[in-house]
Amino acid sequence: MQIELVGKPAGTAARVTLAQGETLTAEVGAMIAMSSQLQVTTASKTKGGKGGVLKGIKRMFSGESFFLNSFTATAQGQEVIVAPSLIGDIVHHQLTGGTLVVQGSSWLASGVDIDIDTTFQGLVAGMFSGEGLFWVKCSGTGDLLLNSFGAIYTIDVKDGYTVDSGHIVAFEDTLEMKVGKASKSLVGSILGGEGLVCKFTGQGKLYCQTHNPPSFGQSLGQNLKPRS
Amino acid sequence: MTLNFEIEQRPDFAILVAKLSKDQKIQAEPSAMASMDPHIKMKTGMKGGLLKSVGRALGGESFFVNTFTAEGAPGEVVFAPGPMGDMQHYHIEESGPSLCLQRGSYVANTEGVEVTGKWDGVKGFFSGEGMVLLKATGSGDIFFNTFGALIDLDVTGDYYVDTGYIVAFEDTLSYQITTVPGLGIGQKLKTFFLGGEGLVCKFSGQGKLWIQTRCVKPFINWVHPFRPHKKSSS
Repeated sequence: MQIELVGKPAGTAARVTLAQGETLTAEVGAMIAMSSQLQVTTASKTKGGKGGVLKGIKRMFSGESFFLNSFTATAQGQEVIVAPSLIGDIVHHQLTGGTLVVQGSSWLASGVDIDIDTTFQGLVAGMFSGEGLFWVKCSGTGDLLLNSFGAIYTIDVKDGYTVDSGHIVAFEDTLEMKVGKASKSLVGSILGGEGLVCKFTGQGKLYCQTHNPPSFGQSLGQNLKPRS
Repeated sequence: MTLNFEIEQRPDFAILVAKLSKDQKIQAEPSAMASMDPHIKMKTGMKGGLLKSVGRALGGESFFVNTFTAEGAPGEVVFAPGPMGDMQHYHIEESGPSLCLQRGSYVANTEGVEVTGKWDGVKGFFSGEGMVLLKATGSGDIFFNTFGALIDLDVTGDYYVDTGYIVAFEDTLSYQITTVPGLGIGQKLKTFFLGGEGLVCKFSGQGKLWIQTRCVKPFINWVHPFRPHKKSSS
């Protein structure tokens, strides 16, 4: 599968070219255009993958959808264009056997040999990381497309790194995440507007996003008419 | 008269910088003008008469069109569309294809181009974008904008686009509203109701097609939960 990212950085879309028989699994609603020699199936599991209903239900808790759409090319050189609904960028990550832990709504699409499961990062991390209780766990080999709100920047964590809640896109599972205070005192952390942050230890790749969707949503929402 | 222009600040904040020669005119949708030289004269009118204006209004554009004239000397006008995104130029010839535009994507055109609403029957209704497309005919230049980035596609054969993402297409392409090609009817219904893809537009034939990478509606749906709740006392 060939992947070209177009319209970077705010309106990024991924043009995925599939060879005959190749399959792309995408988030529900992510397809914006496609060529004609494709078979589209909606199911609660990846094509030929394990799991099913239970995985689908777990996925719902992570902020993704119960269903997944699979696009299988029935001829050479077929194209699927996928894009997220919010303003932002897409990153193309190659998985080579490892596992990437992805923030709930950042998974966009992946090759069929990547297993998509939901993982629980612990109650404390789930409740206070600002990211949700469940994360999407992608493992296997192949291409993975993740979307961000705003731009994406990559950090190669060597000794440790701290990320504010709402700014994590994904991280390799060689990293360990813990929720902690931004400054020494809890009061200081809260007054500083940083509240609780995510502290990473170990070595691995970490993708961060420049903007935090809830912050943006709140800044807009306050200026809108109340819901009736 | 050919128009000298530049589309700047692509792909996220595209604007049209029109460099008019002496006495050259350009028409644009109301409120598209962002800045201009002091001697440029603006006139508001119903271009093409009442009927054409009604057609345009049904096509999701304004009833009125502003005409900018560089009176007596060359001058510059800058046009900026409402949404953040990209912009595209298209040159229309009498002998070539006409251009169909989705609701709201029209920005500006030169003299000799006529933009009006095109009733497209019931299929327009199901496209989720309004019943009437805009159609540009004649000869000259036309400019249209997107929400998000722009992808131009050369279609040969069939091509599917989610209805909200269509921006413009040459009328050598025919289209119909359908569901994504699935397996059987059961699978089709499943994708339609649960797969989030709903209705798609199937283009057939040969021609150019422009799509946008973001759509306003899903963005609005995302913002909606952040709206405050109405207080019961008020």
